[in-house]
Amino acid sequence: MSVDPMAYETQFFGFTPQTCMLRIYIAFQDYLFEMMLVVEGVMLKKLDGIPGCQVSPSQIRKCTEKFLLFMKEHFDKLFAKMEEMLLQLVLNIPKNVLLPEDRAQEQYPYSKEEFQALQDELQELQQRCRAEAAVGQALRAELEEQKVVKAELEKILQCFDGLESICREHGAGNFKESFALLTQNSKKLQGVLKDVEEKSKKMKQHDQSM
Amino acid sequence: ADAGGGPALAAAPGRAQVFTTVVDTFLEKLVAAGSYQRFVNCYRCFYKLQPELTRSIYDQFISQLQTSIKEEIQEVKNEGNLEGLFNSLDKIVEEAKDREEPAWRPSGVPEDDVRSAMVPYCLKHRSHLRRLLKEKEEENRKVAEAVLMGRDRIEELQQLIQARQQAWQ
Repeated sequence: MSVDPMAYETQFFGFTPQTCMLRIYIAFQDYLFEMMLVVEGVMLKKLDGIPGCQVSPSQIRKCTEKFLLFMKEHFDKLFAKMEEMLLQLVLNIPKNVLLPEDRAQEQYPYSKEEFQALQDELQELQQRCRAEAAVGQALRAELEEQKVVKAELEKILQCFDGLESICREHGAGNFKESFALLTQNSKKLQGVLKDVEEKSKKMKQHDQSM
Repeated sequence: ADAGGGPALAAAPGRAQVFTTVVDTFLEKLVAAGSYQRFVNCYRCFYKLQPELTRSIYDQFISQLQTSIKEEIQEVKNEGNLEGLFNSLDKIVEEAKDREEPAWRPSGVPEDDVRSAMVPYCLKHRSHLRRLLKEKEEENRKVAEAVLMGRDRIEELQQLIQARQQAWQ
């Protein structure tokens, strides 16, 4: 006779039905024995108080054993019946019933391979997100550099425009001063142009490595 | 058979009700088995001496036994929240009543069983990642456009500067 472990029921109730019944059986049995001892105790006490009593304690003990034996027999039979009914009708989950917590099992019956494929897909998506994040970072870094370079180039352009307006204002008369001014600015310009060239080079290198 | 206009069929008793009924039946039959007659038969010697006390002892014995048994059952019900669980289970069984095929049961291999339980979360995660990826790609596309425009502008500025340089030669 194979014993049904009732694992699914245990999952639902939080205890094994058979264990529960066993606990109840032992408790009931204990009460029965306890009550019988109390009964015997009361009788013995009463007999103690009767002088010249015909009935001995061992006789009472025999009575108790007789009654207890009888009770235990019926108790066991009746309890077995009760246990059977409870395990079948109350503490059981019919075969066609799926517990709500297990719905995913029937909704998503994924095989090992299908599950692995899903995991692989997740990993791939994560990698692509990381790659996009890196690209975004690089793009934004270049944007920042461009800002700086643009600002400097615009400054140079302003210098040139400034020169033109000064020369126009001062006309041919102040040619020497104009020329000196020119030379100064020229040197400045050369310095700035060098900077810009270097930055350009750096940016081109950066482009190639992306 | 019900006469016309009789009361509707009572719903099948729930597990809680069956539980109570089964336990009560057990107790009834036990008490019936341990009848006073039987008690007296066993304790005949004492009964002859003290008939009234015998009756009183028996009554107390039966009453105490019943009380203890009922208390134990109540304790078991409270500890395990049986009433609530019985009602839940009744509902779950009722919902599955149209279903004939046997339902899924744990395979005994936790790794296999946990897979399907995880699938809903994985699917959610996947759609989240897909959305995220799309957003990032869109964002990067815009920034890339700005970068290309910036490069064009810089080239433009460099050309203007060259032109000015030449004008001043």
